[in-house]
Amino acid sequence: MLSRTVPRCAARPTALLRPLRPHGAPVRPARCSIDRSRRGYASEAAEKDLVIIGGGVAGYVAAIKAGQSGLSVACIEKRGMLGGTCLNVGCIPSKSLLNNSHLYHQILHDTKQRGIEVGEVKLNLEQMMKAKETSVSGLTKGIEFLFKKNNVEYIKGTGAFADEHTINVNLIDGGETSVKAKNIIIATGSEATPFPGMTIDEEKIITSTGAIALKQVPKKMVVIGGGIIGLEMGSVWSRLGAEVTVVEFLGQIGGPGMDAEIAKQAQKLLGKQGMKFKLNTKVKSGEESGEAFKINVEAAKGGKEEAIDADVVLVAIGRRPYTAGLGLENIGIETDDKGRLVIDQEYRTKLPHIRVIGDCTFGPMLAHKAEEEAVAAVEFITKNYGHVNYGAIPSVMYTHPEVAWVGQNEQEVKASGVKYKVGTFPFSANSRAKTNLDTEGMVKFIADAETDRILGIHIIGPNAGEMIAEGTLALEYGASTEDVGRTSHAHPTLSEAFKEAAMATYGKAIHY
Amino acid sequence: MQATRYLLQHRQPMIRFLGKRTAPPKLDHTPKAHPASPTHSLPNSFAAYREKAQQHGPLNQKMEYSTSGAIGSHSGSSLGPVEPASGQYFDRSELPKRFRRTPWTQAEIDAIESGGASMF
Repeated sequence: MLSRTVPRCAARPTALLRPLRPHGAPVRPARCSIDRSRRGYASEAAEKDLVIIGGGVAGYVAAIKAGQSGLSVACIEKRGMLGGTCLNVGCIPSKSLLNNSHLYHQILHDTKQRGIEVGEVKLNLEQMMKAKETSVSGLTKGIEFLFKKNNVEYIKGTGAFADEHTINVNLIDGGETSVKAKNIIIATGSEATPFPGMTIDEEKIITSTGAIALKQVPKKMVVIGGGIIGLEMGSVWSRLGAEVTVVEFLGQIGGPGMDAEIAKQAQKLLGKQGMKFKLNTKVKSGEESGEAFKINVEAAKGGKEEAIDADVVLVAIGRRPYTAGLGLENIGIETDDKGRLVIDQEYRTKLPHIRVIGDCTFGPMLAHKAEEEAVAAVEFITKNYGHVNYGAIPSVMYTHPEVAWVGQNEQEVKASGVKYKVGTFPFSANSRAKTNLDTEGMVKFIADAETDRILGIHIIGPNAGEMIAEGTLALEYGASTEDVGRTSHAHPTLSEAFKEAAMATYGKAIHY
Repeated sequence: MQATRYLLQHRQPMIRFLGKRTAPPKLDHTPKAHPASPTHSLPNSFAAYREKAQQHGPLNQKMEYSTSGAIGSHSGSSLGPVEPASGQYFDRSELPKRFRRTPWTQAEIDAIESGGASMF
């Protein structure tokens, strides 16, 4: 180490490295082997503070947050539209169809008792799809605006690692470019898991992507997989007139996270709307017979084979991380046995400047989880500290009634050995649900028997997806059921059912 | 309000005002398993890469501060200050290799001396 008072540059001769050529002479390829790019003196394209691969929910939120934090940031997206699966072919378009198909179904079946006489009701599927596309395009353009507002450079193309700091981009409009970055975030999302032996054509054998774009209502639809995506899309087409059969390998619908009591009630209510369920059943194969399909199923534990007819088969057995074409092999980043990129607690891969967020790494594949990770990952870069509470991430199924939960379900709490207590309140005893003639469902609290601390909240009923926000906040703050029960809730609202379920956990509900 | 105050004499709510959010005073950035990781472990490649990459240059403090030899096994703060003391400077030759000047090649020397003519 030196003690020095003069600048270092004074101690060395200045050298002109710019090659000289006679004035006016054409630029010719060099014959000698000087790599002029190996020194850093020539001006290159500026290195970004952060480059994000993927403009889905995880990627675009990280880009905006980074822009707001003053980083020079670029976001690479190959779809040509920002928002990823969620905005383009997932959460948003499916919610548009769920909302409008619910209205259609309600007008058909639930107006007379409300004193509304309606004439002939006809479905205009083309218009329903247009309404969906209007919502989608409005939202995706909104993100482009936010990119401009927050100085995010938007690169439309497919990015692949050339080296640890360089990403080559095949531009959608033709040509190539490359970007260098100090930090890189991979947010390439996920894709539907295909069913072995069935080729997805998105017309007859479809994933959720095809299920939001069918051109006509199928007569018979088989949904393989009774998780949230399968039930939501099954609901849409059931309401519009399809005969929907859901085939689920497990003994309950809604996936393993849903509370068993709630799942049973959801199955009963969806069954009342016309959906059929085959639980503990596995799909063996599918055969095409003319325009239709025969789906061969049998009991999961073995048994008699059965064939179900279908015009359209929806494959909804889950999603898998999407990292194809990223050039991970060029930088040696590894994935686990399920294709998830391996990261540490600060979202870093083994290369500390490359982080991964969203569906292509650990945790539930949920848009709001990805958003939280995006903010935390950028905060790790800018502030050295970020945080996501994976114990308080809500899940919602947007059927009617909706199902929502946060924290542990009863089977998980039971398995953990903790002594617990349960409080429930049915919507049939809630004044607002009564006035809305929409009284199916309940709120269920699970709390520690000793401390009264909330361990899990499960709701099936109208507006459950909005109501769970209060539960998530309570869980995040470590609230007791009494904290919720002693908080004033406006009357008459559905949220009073939430308060009363809390009261029923530590004491007694008033109205039940 | 009086009723609430009276009530609170007998009951302490679990929800409390936590104050303005601040980062914890001591942060350990050593790689650990992600909280949602199904295996709750990190592959060896994380430590191996850090060992190789010498991310905590330029001080070459590995021998001085690290007992296990794996740089990634200790927090950055435990490795000591990265910045030199006031009035002291690092020589470029003390920095990790990637920050040092690359040696002149004969072709570059020729190019400078010939005004670039040797390149054509």
